[in-house]
Amino acid sequence: MIEFTCPSCGEHYRVSDDLAGKRAKCKECGDVLEVPMPAADDADEYAVAGPSAPAAVGSAPPTAGQPSPAAPGPAKTAPAVPPSDEVLQGATDHFAYEINQRPDFALVSVKLQPGQKVFAEPSAMASMSPSVHLKAGFKGGLGKTLGRALGGESLIINTFTAQDGPGEVTFAAGSPGDVTYYRLTGNTLYLQRGAFMLHSEGVELSGKWQGAKGFFSGEGLVLLKASGNGDIFFNSYGAILQVDVTDRYIVDTGYIVAFEDTLQYRVTILPGLRAGGKLKTLFFGGEGLVCQFSGQGKVWIQTRHVPSFLSWVNPFRRTKSR
Amino acid sequence: MQYEILSRPAASVAKLTLEAGESVTCEVGAMIAMSTGFDVQTTTRNKGGGGGIVKGLKRMFAGENLFLNHFTATQPNQTLIIGPGLLGDVIHYPMRGGTLVVQGSSWLASATGIDIDATWQGLGKALFSGEGMFWVKCSGSGDLFLNSFGAIYPVDVTGEYVVDTGHIVAFEDTLQFRIGKAGKSLIGSFLGGEGLVCKFSGQGRLYCQSHNPPSFGKLLGPKLKPR
Repeated sequence: MIEFTCPSCGEHYRVSDDLAGKRAKCKECGDVLEVPMPAADDADEYAVAGPSAPAAVGSAPPTAGQPSPAAPGPAKTAPAVPPSDEVLQGATDHFAYEINQRPDFALVSVKLQPGQKVFAEPSAMASMSPSVHLKAGFKGGLGKTLGRALGGESLIINTFTAQDGPGEVTFAAGSPGDVTYYRLTGNTLYLQRGAFMLHSEGVELSGKWQGAKGFFSGEGLVLLKASGNGDIFFNSYGAILQVDVTDRYIVDTGYIVAFEDTLQYRVTILPGLRAGGKLKTLFFGGEGLVCQFSGQGKVWIQTRHVPSFLSWVNPFRRTKSR
Repeated sequence: MQYEILSRPAASVAKLTLEAGESVTCEVGAMIAMSTGFDVQTTTRNKGGGGGIVKGLKRMFAGENLFLNHFTATQPNQTLIIGPGLLGDVIHYPMRGGTLVVQGSSWLASATGIDIDATWQGLGKALFSGEGMFWVKCSGSGDLFLNSFGAIYPVDVTGEYVVDTGHIVAFEDTLQFRIGKAGKSLIGSFLGGEGLVCKFSGQGRLYCQSHNPPSFGKLLGPKLKPR
């Protein structure tokens, strides 16, 4: 994907890579513009959370025919590589940001110039400069507010404004885990319940009724829909991996964090199970319902999810005395 | 099979890339995401091997599920992302014909060349090791993926080594272990909070985990509402 803006009117465009160098008319102002070359190491490309640096990469030979004797131990020890401590940073039209301590304890720090604003879910703020003013309130009218609420977010959105000089605000999610940055350029991003963390000006949040899909997905009935032009940060429990879907891809319903609206999805049972065939995988296999994405776009998945932790801790609870 | 361990250490997952016809056996519920060119089967037995319901039941006692999921790639270059439920690390252990004894809940996935079977370690060990009743015995050759609660660290044992109960992930079967007390006197050991320990002897590699799930559970349990 190449992202660029029309030099004369500022309209945002996203086109596929094979259009690089082509000339076209701007839909808004009619000026002729040239599609730039794909920027490989553009700051924004970098800012999108790719899978964190692989700590251990290897390829194992096929298992067949290896008459090696009972080895006293593996040839290599598990490499003790420190956790990926890469800092994701960048600057946008709205503010400069940094994501530190990924992927386990991601902390977002946003630097605001006087007058700049950032909108965050309640209690996401960890610390801030005194020059930043916080105002809590409903945003976007009744419909948007209720939509957000159905999407698993709070009715209230906190607005942080740098009023008396530049300032910095740091945000952290409620659970340990990762944070990913995404820039909206007129497109739409769907977020799982509770995944939203903060956004810049120009982003609209609303709820999106999923219909029966939501009912079966094990997640909320309503997805949170983010659209507009601006920056958005979302978080999850566990690390976030980005997957570029080019054709089709399957994700367990509980592990979806966000996906672009260029992808279609449907909730299905694992393929390999045909109707009337072996239903065993559904009931006993533990990965019954999955979300099958098709089309082209990005999907973000989380590497851990809260329900499995909860079901693990449940047996440790005291039993009620009768 | 190609593998990559991502987002280590607390939220680790294994990303496996399989060629057409290659197959991997995973713990039930381990699949997070995958390409569409997989055939998925749920059975109680090892792929292509025997076992059946008895082995399945034994696995169930070992803290694993009765069922196993087999993912077989039907198209080239298929990726599968698997991970455990709890926060912790994932490691790859290349099996070359030996035998690795894995603590019940630490087994994540293995290639089809590996036979997995639950093994009984004896009553004393079952009761006092702080681990499950059964252990999963992996033998054969191929890729084996283990997970831990917390970080995972290898120890090459020559002679003797002591591990606190609940911290064992896996060990090569060239090692033996017995339950013993940590200090000289039994009371002293218990007062020191260590109680019983696992004493390993022999020569081989041992994998330990930094945290002990039951300890964490006992910390959380009393603070939660009774069920």
